[in-house]
Amino acid sequence: MPPDEEMQWFEVEETVRFNEVDEWGMVWYGNYLAWFEIGRMALLKAFDLLPRQMVALGYVAPVVNVNCDYKQSARTGDRVVIRTTVYKPEIAALIFKFEILRKDSRELLAKGETKQVLLTTDNKMIYRLSGELEKRVAVLLANCKL
Amino acid sequence: MKEMMHDSVKLRGFLKEMIIDTLKLEDVSAEDIDDDAPLFKEGLGLDSIDALELVVAIEKIFNVIIEDEDVGKEAFGSIRILARFLQKECSRLDKDTLSAAG
Repeated sequence: MPPDEEMQWFEVEETVRFNEVDEWGMVWYGNYLAWFEIGRMALLKAFDLLPRQMVALGYVAPVVNVNCDYKQSARTGDRVVIRTTVYKPEIAALIFKFEILRKDSRELLAKGETKQVLLTTDNKMIYRLSGELEKRVAVLLANCKL
Repeated sequence: MKEMMHDSVKLRGFLKEMIIDTLKLEDVSAEDIDDDAPLFKEGLGLDSIDALELVVAIEKIFNVIIEDEDVGKEAFGSIRILARFLQKECSRLDKDTLSAAG
């Protein structure tokens, strides 16, 4: 796994909505995963790897593992920064890394990872990337390294 | 390595250790793995993500490429089936190398 400082991170911003907080006024823990998804989609869009574009190439990429460490809580109205990057381990999978920061202070609120494997659209797991998918993933990965 | 490829018993023992090491299986020893038990689901209980790890280990150790799940499902049938698969693939690779050489 490459160290964080050797990764190029992509950032998008969101505002915490009233319906995203729990009874204690803190963002409900599951909503951090929704923010991860916002970060992932922004990154994939930039490299022509959105889910529908993957399907057009004949693949889907289900998440098989997720983890998230919560450091501080965000509250209604807070502006947060979602930072995303991705790397490929030795196996045919993609691991996205995420950080959620409070925008004003750049304080780390949460960090996590998701692991996705690759299946063909007829549900066969692939063990190696090839063709157009391999090319697009290579460009994505190259842009996520400093 | 070449010697081991001709000794099925040794190869099967090696593969068991390789699986235990690669997947960091705790509480499983080589003796616990039956030569003919399925590696996935009802046998050793491996899953499709484990297969991804094994494919990488096999490529590194044996230089044999398992392209996709279709080949994988067959090759990972059991330790005995995997050993035979690798013996066949390695002997095919040897022949290819020989014909390329001359």
